[in-house]
Amino acid sequence: MKVLILGGSGHVGGRLLQIMAGDAQYRPTGASRSAPSHGLPGIQFLQLNTCDVPALTQALEGFDAVVNCVAGNAQSIAQGAQALVTAAQLAGYPRIIHLSTMSVYGRAEGTVREDATLSPELGWYGRAKCEAEDSIRAYARQGGSAVVLRPGCVFGSRSELWVGRIARWLQAGRLGDLGAAGDGWSNLVHIDDVCKAVLAALSLHIGAHEQPVFNLAAPDSPRWNTYFVDLSVALHCTPVKRITARQLKIDAYLAGPPLKVANLLFKRLHWPTSALPDCMPPGLTALWAQHIRLDAAEAGRQLGLGWTTYVDGLQSSAAWAARSTTEPPIKGAAKWTR
Amino acid sequence: MITDANTVPQGACLQADICVVGAGPAGITLALELSAQGLSVLMLESGFLDEDSKTQQLYEGDVAPGQLHSPPDKYRQRRFGGSTAIWGGRCMPFDPIDFETRPHVPHSGWPISYDDLLPYYPHANELSEAGRFSYLAEEALGPNALPFIRGFESQCVLTNGLERFSCPTHFGKRYAKRLRLAPNVTVLLGANCTGIRLEPQGHSVRAVDVSTLAGNRFSANCRATVLAVGGLETARLLLASRDVAPAGVGNFHDVVGRYYMCHIAGNVGRLLIHGPRENVRHGYEVTPEGVYCRRRIAVAPAEQRRLGLANAVARLHFPRITDPAHRNGVLSGLFLARRLISYEYGKRLNDSSHATSGIDYARHCLNVAADPFDTTAFLLHWLRRRSLAERKFPSVILRNRTNRFSLEMHGEQIPQAQSRVLLGDKVDALGMPQLHVDWRYSPADIDSIRGTLDVISKAFLVSGTARFDYDAETLEEDLTRFGAYGGHHIGTARMGSDERTSVVDADCRVHSVQNLYIAGSAVFPTSSQANPTLTLIALSLRLAHTLGRRLAEPLQTVKAAEACV
Repeated sequence: MKVLILGGSGHVGGRLLQIMAGDAQYRPTGASRSAPSHGLPGIQFLQLNTCDVPALTQALEGFDAVVNCVAGNAQSIAQGAQALVTAAQLAGYPRIIHLSTMSVYGRAEGTVREDATLSPELGWYGRAKCEAEDSIRAYARQGGSAVVLRPGCVFGSRSELWVGRIARWLQAGRLGDLGAAGDGWSNLVHIDDVCKAVLAALSLHIGAHEQPVFNLAAPDSPRWNTYFVDLSVALHCTPVKRITARQLKIDAYLAGPPLKVANLLFKRLHWPTSALPDCMPPGLTALWAQHIRLDAAEAGRQLGLGWTTYVDGLQSSAAWAARSTTEPPIKGAAKWTR
Repeated sequence: MITDANTVPQGACLQADICVVGAGPAGITLALELSAQGLSVLMLESGFLDEDSKTQQLYEGDVAPGQLHSPPDKYRQRRFGGSTAIWGGRCMPFDPIDFETRPHVPHSGWPISYDDLLPYYPHANELSEAGRFSYLAEEALGPNALPFIRGFESQCVLTNGLERFSCPTHFGKRYAKRLRLAPNVTVLLGANCTGIRLEPQGHSVRAVDVSTLAGNRFSANCRATVLAVGGLETARLLLASRDVAPAGVGNFHDVVGRYYMCHIAGNVGRLLIHGPRENVRHGYEVTPEGVYCRRRIAVAPAEQRRLGLANAVARLHFPRITDPAHRNGVLSGLFLARRLISYEYGKRLNDSSHATSGIDYARHCLNVAADPFDTTAFLLHWLRRRSLAERKFPSVILRNRTNRFSLEMHGEQIPQAQSRVLLGDKVDALGMPQLHVDWRYSPADIDSIRGTLDVISKAFLVSGTARFDYDAETLEEDLTRFGAYGGHHIGTARMGSDERTSVVDADCRVHSVQNLYIAGSAVFPTSSQANPTLTLIALSLRLAHTLGRRLAEPLQTVKAAEACV
């Protein structure tokens, strides 16, 4: 099967390319705006603006399926998905596997299944992801074949967002046991499980006018506090600190804006932003207190997923985080902003 | 959902799989666990999210013979979260020996073993925010943990045990959101259970009567009812529900309210540890997961059996606060500020054995003035690590300057039927009879602590690491100076397999009533050396598991406002 992976230099796209390259039944090609920092030998890679319909149409020629792992800003997410749908229609309707997010559920709490109402209330990211899903739904209505995957927080090796950055906050004593402020469900899902879901979605039987959607979160993923404490202990950032709600607010609301400004300034001046502490977005602190639990039973049933256990996921995440202090973070890692 | 009981229609009869009476640590644990199993829960909580003085007054009662037990409205809180609103947070599991039938401890023996409860302790630890379920120093603090006292070794006295400290977690505040979001849980605030109504034959609960202080009345008819109202209120509710069973529910054999235990506690003797101060770990240590913990001294189980001792634990403690002879500015400062400290925590600063003279006050003031740096350092530490912290430094610890300590004893009380709570003559605002507390200890309790101290003293002497002595003449006074240990209300509805000597069976079910259960320390047949909270949470988790099995086919939601049959 010939598969084009958009966002191939990102966390999910990069790992997906790696897995597919080791499987004879796939002939993967990566694509992204910029070239990957870690090239894979023998894998073709296209430099492509995913909002550019003619270029995308041309790129899609001859592919059986396309996996949309594009991250970035609102434009690349929302307009990128729209462009992909248009290009796919012109290129003969290949199957689209679209990587969405749990952010489309907005501030929902409790157990959330795939049929829950979508709510673009969490800032530009959630809005863009909802718009992207709208485009994919339109593709399915017009006869295209598409599967939407809504992962929770993707951890494991090379997860800059949910391992690298968290580890740095733990090491700096800015994060720890948050009490009630960290009582939300983490909805962690291992990177390899996300990739397995994509592979299963590529060969999933889809009826006419159906557009399957699957939540992806390991059933044993714990509450945030447990993850923070376990990762701290695994990284020897001990004793784990108890962070008060007050400290968290000061970090997010008072320290956050100047750090963000400094970050933009460093980028403008081409200075390494890794020298700066990561700012802690208020939306992220809200997520840690949000009791949303993705029900991923359908993914288990229909995609036949066997989940990586939390203990194994934690182990590989901690091992990577411990190593990554000497390695630069991967290029093109998505931003989480809510 | 959490809502006010006054919103329930007058005369309504609410239904659910399980009615949990009381939203303290036992009730909240139960509700969360039952809900996770898909069972619908109706939770009746007398109080509100914050303290309410009129509700708290419902706990009032009287005490005989007077000074040995706190008034019943102290050390317990009638509010959402229960007494975890004021607890100290000390967590430790019971020991395997506590569950055994010990010939030297009359009325001892649980119908369950330590192994039956063990699977539930780790989750209990987690809910209490006390970190991992690991209570041995070398396991919890790592292989490089220093010994309690360098050079001390003994087969008879163990010093590698730990106690851990919860934040202390206020269960109401900490778990309100989980309860609010649980789709099958309804928590009613201001809902006072005023009676358990049995079917005419007395074998099952027909309804639970509920009243609010504003005058609303309704009832609940559930498949099972769990009383999770604390060690004192459980007996009160059972004894006061006497329309079908004249002696009270579950009280055919006059056991309800009897065998009431607290703990025998006090500061005793003088301990001098030889060698440098660095050889001793007298204060709090922090586990990798960030939990305060502290070493404790205990007599090994085999030695307890050999010498016929009840279980007990000792901790290193500072000298008697009330006596200015300690010449410590921090202790004197605490003594002078004792009226600013709550009743529960200030009690041990008020020595009822003798009046403080003017000279004593002057000497305390002198101590503070002579020790300004230590006092200031203490205050700053207290402000940073206790007042402003969410995980609070558990108690006052002084700098070890001289390797001189006293031993703070916390011992099991031997159960006896004469120690009891019963209904008094007065009634509360809802017409419920108030409690009359007749707590008693026995000479055997004091003798057992004496034996424990002798074993510890000998072990220190043999090891050559320390010298301990105490005044045998004043031991009883030392151990009863502050009366029954506050807040530990144990044994008033004890668990057992013989209904002539117990109230509930091994599943915490009232022997004579097929759908009435009790959660909490009321069911403990013996009191252990350990504080009761962790074990009552573990037992509540086990009860939730039992109920889940028994009520395998759940109702889906709490049905409101249906007519009672």
